[in-house]
Amino acid sequence: MFEMVFSADELPLPTMHSNLSNNMADNLVQLFTGIGLSEQKAKETIKNEGLAEDLRKIVIEAQNKIGSSVEKTVGTLLYNIATRLKQKSRSSLLVEYIATKKISSEAQLTAAFDYFKSNPLDPIDISAFEAACGVGVVVTPEQIEEVVEEVLKKHKDGLIEQRYHYGVGSIMGEVRSKLKWADGRGIKNEVDMQILDLLGPKTDADKQKPQKAKPQTQSKKEETKKAEVEKELASPMDSKTDYQIMGDAIKFHKPGENYTTEGYVVTPKTMKLMKKHLEETGGQIRTRFPPEPNGILHIGHAKAINFNFGYARAHDGICFLRYDDTNPEKEEERFFRGILEMVEWLGYTPYKTTHASDYFHELYAWAIELIKRGLAYVCHQKQEEIKGRNPPPSPWRDRPVEESLTLFEDMKKGKLEEGEATLRMKTILEDGKMDPVAYRIKYTPHHRTKDEWCIYPTYDYTHCLCDSIENITHSLCTKEFQSRRSSYYWLCNALDAYCPVQWEYGRLNISYTVVSKRKIGKLISAGLIRDWDDPRLFTLTALRRRGFPAEAINIFCSKVGVTMAQVTIDPSMLESCVRDVLNNTAKRAMATLEPLKVTITNFPSDAPNKVDVPNIPHDASKGSHTVPFESTIYIEREDFRETAEKNYRRLTTNQPVGLKYVGYVICVEDIIKNNSGKITELKVTCKALGETDKPKSFIHWISKPITCEIRLYDRLFEHKNPEDPNEVPGGFVSDCNKDSLTVIYDALVDQSVKKAKQFEKFQFERIGFFSVDPDSTEDHLVFNRTVTLREDAAKS
Amino acid sequence: MADNLVQLTSHCQQQEAAIKSLSYDLQLLKDGQLPEDVELNAVSPNLAKLRAENEKLKYRLNTLKRSLAEEESRYEKVMPSLLVDLNSVFEGAIKAAAPELADPPIAISLSTAEKFGEYQCNSAMGISQQLKGLGIKKSPREIAETIVKGLPPSEMIEKVEIAGPGFINIHLTKSFVSHKLNELLVIGVRPPPIGRKKRVVVDMSSPNIAKEMHVGHLRSTIIGDSISRLYEFLGHDVLRLNHIGDWGTQFGMLIAHLMDKFPNYVAESPPIGDLQDFYKESKIRFDNEEEFKKRAYSLVVKLQAKEPDITKAWNLICDVSRREFQKIYDRLDIKIVERGESFYQDMMGDTVRALEAKGVVEVDDGRKVVFVPGHDVPLTVVKSDGGNTYDTSDMAALHHRLFDEHADVILYVVDAGQGLHFNLIFAAGKLVGWYDPSSTRVEHIGFGVVLGEDKKKFKTRSGETIRLADLLEEGLKRSLQKLKDKNRHEILTAEELKAAQESVAYGCIKYSDLSHNRVNDYVFSFDKMLDDKGNTAAYLLYAFTRIRSIARLANIDRDTLKKAAETTAVDLDHPKEWKLGKCLLRLPDILLRVLDDLCMHTLCDYLYEISTTFTEFYDHCYCVEKDRQTKEIIKVNMSRLLLCEATANVMECGFSILGINPVEKM
Repeated sequence: MFEMVFSADELPLPTMHSNLSNNMADNLVQLFTGIGLSEQKAKETIKNEGLAEDLRKIVIEAQNKIGSSVEKTVGTLLYNIATRLKQKSRSSLLVEYIATKKISSEAQLTAAFDYFKSNPLDPIDISAFEAACGVGVVVTPEQIEEVVEEVLKKHKDGLIEQRYHYGVGSIMGEVRSKLKWADGRGIKNEVDMQILDLLGPKTDADKQKPQKAKPQTQSKKEETKKAEVEKELASPMDSKTDYQIMGDAIKFHKPGENYTTEGYVVTPKTMKLMKKHLEETGGQIRTRFPPEPNGILHIGHAKAINFNFGYARAHDGICFLRYDDTNPEKEEERFFRGILEMVEWLGYTPYKTTHASDYFHELYAWAIELIKRGLAYVCHQKQEEIKGRNPPPSPWRDRPVEESLTLFEDMKKGKLEEGEATLRMKTILEDGKMDPVAYRIKYTPHHRTKDEWCIYPTYDYTHCLCDSIENITHSLCTKEFQSRRSSYYWLCNALDAYCPVQWEYGRLNISYTVVSKRKIGKLISAGLIRDWDDPRLFTLTALRRRGFPAEAINIFCSKVGVTMAQVTIDPSMLESCVRDVLNNTAKRAMATLEPLKVTITNFPSDAPNKVDVPNIPHDASKGSHTVPFESTIYIEREDFRETAEKNYRRLTTNQPVGLKYVGYVICVEDIIKNNSGKITELKVTCKALGETDKPKSFIHWISKPITCEIRLYDRLFEHKNPEDPNEVPGGFVSDCNKDSLTVIYDALVDQSVKKAKQFEKFQFERIGFFSVDPDSTEDHLVFNRTVTLREDAAKS
Repeated sequence: MADNLVQLTSHCQQQEAAIKSLSYDLQLLKDGQLPEDVELNAVSPNLAKLRAENEKLKYRLNTLKRSLAEEESRYEKVMPSLLVDLNSVFEGAIKAAAPELADPPIAISLSTAEKFGEYQCNSAMGISQQLKGLGIKKSPREIAETIVKGLPPSEMIEKVEIAGPGFINIHLTKSFVSHKLNELLVIGVRPPPIGRKKRVVVDMSSPNIAKEMHVGHLRSTIIGDSISRLYEFLGHDVLRLNHIGDWGTQFGMLIAHLMDKFPNYVAESPPIGDLQDFYKESKIRFDNEEEFKKRAYSLVVKLQAKEPDITKAWNLICDVSRREFQKIYDRLDIKIVERGESFYQDMMGDTVRALEAKGVVEVDDGRKVVFVPGHDVPLTVVKSDGGNTYDTSDMAALHHRLFDEHADVILYVVDAGQGLHFNLIFAAGKLVGWYDPSSTRVEHIGFGVVLGEDKKKFKTRSGETIRLADLLEEGLKRSLQKLKDKNRHEILTAEELKAAQESVAYGCIKYSDLSHNRVNDYVFSFDKMLDDKGNTAAYLLYAFTRIRSIARLANIDRDTLKKAAETTAVDLDHPKEWKLGKCLLRLPDILLRVLDDLCMHTLCDYLYEISTTFTEFYDHCYCVEKDRQTKEIIKVNMSRLLLCEATANVMECGFSILGINPVEKM
């Protein structure tokens, strides 16, 4: 291998943009290094043509004011204008202030940017601007001294105790917040000096690194975790919990300050509209959950519900439930009801339930206005023509306004055929798609408006305008809609309507499942699952049927957080939330999936005929229930083995076992088998617990049981991403685990579950958490296993 | 045997069951349903598709039926324009006769003489000319024949004849005209169809605070109001705006003077009395007292800064003028929204920035100007001292009317002298893309100056501006004299006389203005306008009351006439009946024409034509026959009374558009 060696003057310049001749580039580098940029930085800068041009203009403008030599501090600020200023039209103003040193620190410049951001419209109120940037404010050393003294007084105890290990950062921060425009170095020096004065010079101990706290023991960690969960459970809907959901939402704008959001488009009407918006909302946060009523909600929607309703609740705001019912072909009454039911099940109440169709008249009037403004036109391109990449532009784009108005009315009157005409908006989406459709003809009755309309608005047209009508402050949607953001803003602004801020967040996906309506339908028709709420699915109705408590779903959403990144989460995380909740809420009961009859031959006459069992063992306040205790009991078949290896701790021919709650130990006397050699019954004797050695373990049992049906579920899909053709070449249907449902028709459960209500939840001791299935009747209870007690148990 | 019997019996039972099931299915099929166990696709794979399609078609049919009913009910609310309808009858035939031409002329107009029918189509000549240009030789006559052959059947047209070189004379069907007249009587006089409802802004009147409202303002008010009434009648949404002069440096001096004269003005409204005198007083001080002048300037600044006390003073001054203006508006029955220059002050900064953002603003000698192609003088939007101009405020007003009022039509009814200024403003608006003239009508409705009978500028003898209030007062006096000359005061009650006096006075002032082409200067003459002969309101109002009185004197009230119109067809056999009848149906044509050029005199001429045509009719056709001696009614010709009523109704409609308020008795 050769090493290329260049002499200094042969050193190749970094690749230059072709438009820049070397000579020009040299000049620029010289210009930029002249304001204090390092040569490397200067060269990097000119690679970015736009930035270089901006900076060039700025530097020349400054030089015109203060001469060709520019101090480095001034230069840095000028560089900042070029890189950070959004409204280029205000560049001159800033250059002026920096050149005249009215703005001389980065803090001041940042304040200037902030001021611009919250005052986007010209003219600039100069006195307010100067006040905001601290122009002309002089901070004397005396002032600094005074403030530092004051702040140190508050921290004195901490300082004396921890000495130099005490965090100086917070002290600095406090001083800075009080002396916004003071020189940072000056403050630091003053703080250091006063601390030295207080504590004296550093000792050896001060110089040692502080020992980190020992890692917590496993059990302790778990305790705190448990405590946290309990805290959450104590008030699952506590507004503080909601707030923690928010993650990125902390950055959200205040109502009425939409324009401070990156990318928000400010028009001359913005401020007036914002004022009216604030008058109408009183400055309240307003969000909405806008499902299309064409399917049922799944776990991904739970995130949207939690985010929208939760964010509003955490800020004393309101949240609308708005059915986005613009497509008449896909709507069914049951979906409407189902959605509201699920929202309420999750513990939220919409401020108001609305429909996009409520606004059809307003939307129509707006469409006419849009045409009148020359911003929409009737187009006759066929749907196939405008599909795909780079479709040809519409030849009708520039047709006269009057013509479009007449044709649009004709569309509404039924004079044109389906597909013969659409109304299109003159805007371009982020992905380059031109002129999205606003209205199309559909000769289909609508669920709510019946036969009133034969033209229906599209999502692109409807969504932002409904948000605007409802004065939504934060329009939260999943990332797929990022490409619609510009048309969202464009349309509101085109109509001079209040424009909400659209915020996108990552979708929540769960592995080992499918959620699309079409795919679930396929599974149902293939007979692989029973219905939309089959407990193996991750639709919300399915989760409810399986016994997942709403609180657990909410906690899960809160744990996932509202990041902008798309996340795929293993169902075990959701299940663990479910366990945490059920552990504290599900009543204990005893059940045997595979019962074995046991007769106590020496049933003591003084034995109690019933025993008290606590509902929640670790929480006495939850009370207890009684179960009968008689000479015939049933135990789980696998809790007995005729012969067993050493580490088998339960009942064997020669190993007694304890019965939970009653204080007896049983000992096998006789094993009764049927013809085929299957054990049908055990005859045992019992001894009170005190009269014998403590048994190795205690097992659950049932006396006078009731027979129930129990359904056990396993994962429906074998692979993490059943829809991924690489993982599952045969398609998601082929990936189904045909044995994912096990039904036990003759399980025995203790009497405490009698008359249990639909969705009532139990922990069957040592087996798992169960929930009463809606299939249950008064004399035939059906239980679904919600989750096993531990995660690994599911796989065994 | 027994086995056989069992077999046969069971066989028979099976067959009976099969018959039963089949006849049930048959019945279902007869009822248009499918047997339950038949899978749709089993019958025909297309069935499901066809069913869905059928559903859609049914849905569309329902929508179309509803739209049709809607359009029909709208049709009830409009009166067709014969000219427009004839155009659509001829359009197809004309296009077919000249396939070589992309856009052949469709020229249909009123006939020049009665013998040529009612309308004539002159397209053949034009087409022949155009074809010649393409090197195709075809005589107009030949073309006319092709057109006539290609005409679709129409209930309107009795016959067409080709005359001369290639004129096509069109004769209307009497029964059609008669039917339309009955409709007019039963449903009422309705506007022609006009398409969608538009937002119309009419900038009119616009006097100046603290100055006398003069005849120029009167013209603007009368013309603007009449145009507004026309648009309203046609079903549009009209906003009349009074762009009063309520802003400027003169307010500094007025306020300074007010503060000196009535120091307690904030607490107590000062009795300013005559604002003109007040203005003169302050002007003298302004010109002579240096300190006063300085103070006046400082007050302008304070007024601009919206200081409450100064704003109050400004409002007090404006109120004095407002009250004066309102008196005039009340007399002339004008309803107008005040939105003066002050209204647009705060918008001017944004307007300049909007223009700057479009990149059309240039800095010229310290001023900010906008050069508009085709105009030599630029707009000055910011003066070198940083102040704004009328250009700025008119641009701000234009912007506000386009973007906040969402106007489709903006009309500036301002004297012709300001034509250049407004055309510059409009051109600038188009330049920066604020509106598209193909869909938004922005126009200066200019008018000439008012002259005295000496053909010189209209002034008092002493050379002062004539006060409008005095002028109206004079009109009232003169009209009363006129009525008294005819002894009307002996016949009418005091109330009726007063109503007639006002109707004639204000009606004449408005009509004499509107009946002249607004573009020309016009001579203001009470003598001429109150003349009861010729094209004057005095004549028309008198004719109108006389027409209405015909039925009344035959003891037939208007309700009876309306009922009669449902059963009695208007008879048009007499040539004068025919002439009057078809004249009345031209109202929609006339209104559409006026809408086009906004020259109201066309409507006035039409009303005069109706009136003279009616006189001809009345002279030849008895409506009510009375015994010469006893004056007893011998015979009432109901059809002719209906024609009288239709005439009165059309005239009434015309009056209402002109802003004239006719009376039943005069």
